[in-house]
Amino acid sequence: MFSLPVFLESFGPLIWAARYTLLISFLGIGLGLVIGALICAARLSPYIALRRFAAVWVSFLRGVPLLVQLLVFYYTLPVIGIDVPAFVAAVVTVGICASAYISEIWRGAIAALPKGQSEAATAIGMGPRDIWTRVILPQAVTMSLPALINELILLVKASSLVSVVGILEITRASQAQAATTFRPLEVYIAAACIYLAINLCLAVLGRYLEHRTAV
Amino acid sequence: MQASSVEIRKVNKFYGPFHALKDVDLNILPGKVTCLIGPSGSGKSTLLRCVNFLEEYDSGEVRIDGQLIGYDAPGKKMSGRKLREMRRSIGMVFQQFNLWPHMTALENVAEGLIRVRGLPKAEAQERASAALTKVGLADKMQNHPSRLSGGQQQRVAIARAIAMEPRLMLFDEPTSALDPELVGEVLNVMKTLASEGMTMVVVTHEMGFAAHVADQVAFMEKGELVGCDTPSRILHQPDDPRIQSFLRTYHERNSF
Amino acid sequence: MDFSIFQQYGPALLKGFANTILCWALGTVLGMALGLVIALIQRYAPRPVRWIVQAYIEIIRGTPFLVQLFVLYYGGPLIGLRLDALPAGLLGLTIYGSPYFAEIFRSGFRAVPHGQIEAARAIGMTEMTIVRRILLPLGLVSALPALINFSIILTKETVILSIITVPELMYQVNRMSTETFRYLEANLVLALFFWVLVETISRVGRRLETRITKHLIERT
Repeated sequence: MFSLPVFLESFGPLIWAARYTLLISFLGIGLGLVIGALICAARLSPYIALRRFAAVWVSFLRGVPLLVQLLVFYYTLPVIGIDVPAFVAAVVTVGICASAYISEIWRGAIAALPKGQSEAATAIGMGPRDIWTRVILPQAVTMSLPALINELILLVKASSLVSVVGILEITRASQAQAATTFRPLEVYIAAACIYLAINLCLAVLGRYLEHRTAV
Repeated sequence: MQASSVEIRKVNKFYGPFHALKDVDLNILPGKVTCLIGPSGSGKSTLLRCVNFLEEYDSGEVRIDGQLIGYDAPGKKMSGRKLREMRRSIGMVFQQFNLWPHMTALENVAEGLIRVRGLPKAEAQERASAALTKVGLADKMQNHPSRLSGGQQQRVAIARAIAMEPRLMLFDEPTSALDPELVGEVLNVMKTLASEGMTMVVVTHEMGFAAHVADQVAFMEKGELVGCDTPSRILHQPDDPRIQSFLRTYHERNSF
Repeated sequence: MDFSIFQQYGPALLKGFANTILCWALGTVLGMALGLVIALIQRYAPRPVRWIVQAYIEIIRGTPFLVQLFVLYYGGPLIGLRLDALPAGLLGLTIYGSPYFAEIFRSGFRAVPHGQIEAARAIGMTEMTIVRRILLPLGLVSALPALINFSIILTKETVILSIITVPELMYQVNRMSTETFRYLEANLVLALFFWVLVETISRVGRRLETRITKHLIERT
C-alpha cells in the first residue's frame, strides 16, 4: 500500500536535487535564447546560405528526439577531443535543442506584427536599424514572453532525460532513492509532485505575463 | 396548413444587471405575419429567440397555441425532451444562415427529417428536395453551402425550416447579412410563405417588407415594446415620438 | 567509424522499428480517443467532474513523461498493477498524450460557430445528435492540423520508452552499441533516421490534412 512516511521522506533529497533540474533548465533556456536569436536572424537574413543553414538547424533539432541528441552529443565530444563534464554537455545539448524552438517562436512573433508598423516607421523616415530596435524587436520580445515561459516549462520536463547521462537531478535522484528504499511508487510520485510544483509556478508566471502584455 | 398562435405576456429578460426585455406583451394570431422593428440593441432578436426558448426568459410567459414554452410552471424548466418536441413545430431562420458546411444543401434540409422526425432516408430526401424546389433551388441540391451565394444559402435555410412542416416560423434579420441585390429573392420566398397562411414573426430592417406583407408591426426600443399596430398606423401615422424619430433616421439614411 | 554493425543487427533493429511504429500508432489512436472523451466531459459534464478532469490534465502536463513511466512501470506493482514493459509503455503513451489531445479537441469544438449548433437545437435535435452530426465533424476539421502536429511529436517521445526497457528502436540501438562499443555511429544513425522519419511524416501529414479537409468541407 501507499506509505505516507516514505512519500514525505523522499522529498528532502529530491528537492535538494531539484537545484540541478532548475540549473539545467535556466542555463539551457539562456543558451537557447542566444543561439535562437542568432538562428532567427540567420533565417530572416538576405543570404540564402545562412537561411538554408538555419532551416536545416531547426528541422534537424526538431526532428530528432532530445534523448538521441543527448547521446550523440555525449559520445561525439570525446571523439573530437573535447573533454567536458557531463553536466556541461547536458546544458549545451538542452540549449541547442531549445534554440530551434525559440528561433521559431521569435520568427512567429515577428511575422505576427502587422506590416503597416514598419511601413509607418519607414514613412516617417526611420532607417532599418531604428525600425528593428525601436519598433519590431520591443514588440516581438514582449509578445513572445508567454511562449518562452512555455518553452521553459518544456525544458524543466525535458531535463529529466539528462538522468541517462548520470546527472543527479530530480529524476536521477529519485531512481537512486527508489533503489535504496524499494518504494518506487512513493518516491516517483514525490518526484512528480516537485516537477508539478515547479511547472505550476512557471505557468502562473506565464499567465501573469500574458495578461500584462495583452494589448 | 395548421398555423400556431403565440401569446407573449409580461416577459422579462436580464443579462446580469442589464434589463434586456421589460414586461413585453405581444399577441400573434394564427396565420398572421408580425414584423418586429426598432433600433439595434432594442431587444427584438432577444424577444424572437425567447419564442423558441433559444434565449431563456426570466419571468413572464410565452405560449405557443396556449402551451407554455420553456417552463412547466413558473421557475420550473421543462425537460429537454418536451422542449425539443415543441421546437419541432417552430421553424427558425438566422441572420447568418447557419447552414452546416459539411453537408450539401439537400443533406442540410434532410438532416432534421432523418434525425429528429425519424423518417427513412429516401423519404427525407424526397421531402427535402420538394422543399428546395419550393424555394427555387432545385438545381443546387448537391452543392455545399460554400458554393452558394448568400441569398441561396438563406433560401436553403428556409427550406431546412419548412421541411419540418412547422406551424410557426421565426425569422431573425434574415436579409441583414445579404448583399443588397440578393435581398429580393429571400423576401419573395417569405412572401409566398405568408400568402400560404403561415404564422410568421420577422425581425427586420426591411420597412418595405413590413409595410406590404405584415399584418401587424411591433416597434421596440430599449427592451420595451413601444407600440404594436397595423403597418400603416406604425409606419405612416405613428403617435409615439420614439417611433417617429426612428423612422426619420431610417428615411434620412436611405435617401440620397 | 564503422557502420557494418548495422548489417549484423539488422533483424533486431527491424523488430525494434516495428515496435516503435506499433507504440506510436496505438498510443496515438488510444490517446486521441481518451482525449476526445475528456474534451466531451469538459464540455458537458457537471462542474465537479470537470474539476477532477482539469486536475488530471494539469498533473499530466506538468510532469515529465519519463517520471510518469516510472510511476506506472516501477510503482504500479506496489498497488497491484503489474504490466510488461510494452503494455506499460503503451498505457503510458496513451495517458501522456490524452490531455494534449483533449486541449486540441476542445479548441476545435470552440471553433465551431455557435449558430450552427443553435440551428440544430432550433429544429429539435438532441444534444447527442448534435455532437455526432455537427460538433464532431466540424470540430475535427479545425482540430486536424494540431492533431497531426501532436502525433508527430509523439513519434519522438517513443524513444523514452527504451528507458523502461520497451524493446523499441532506441532500446535495440542501445543494446547494439553496448555490445559493440559503437556508441557514436549507432546514435548518429538513429538521429538521422528520426530526422528523416519526422520530416516524412510531416510531409505526408500536410498532404493528408488538405485531402481530409477537402473531403469533409468542400472548398471553392
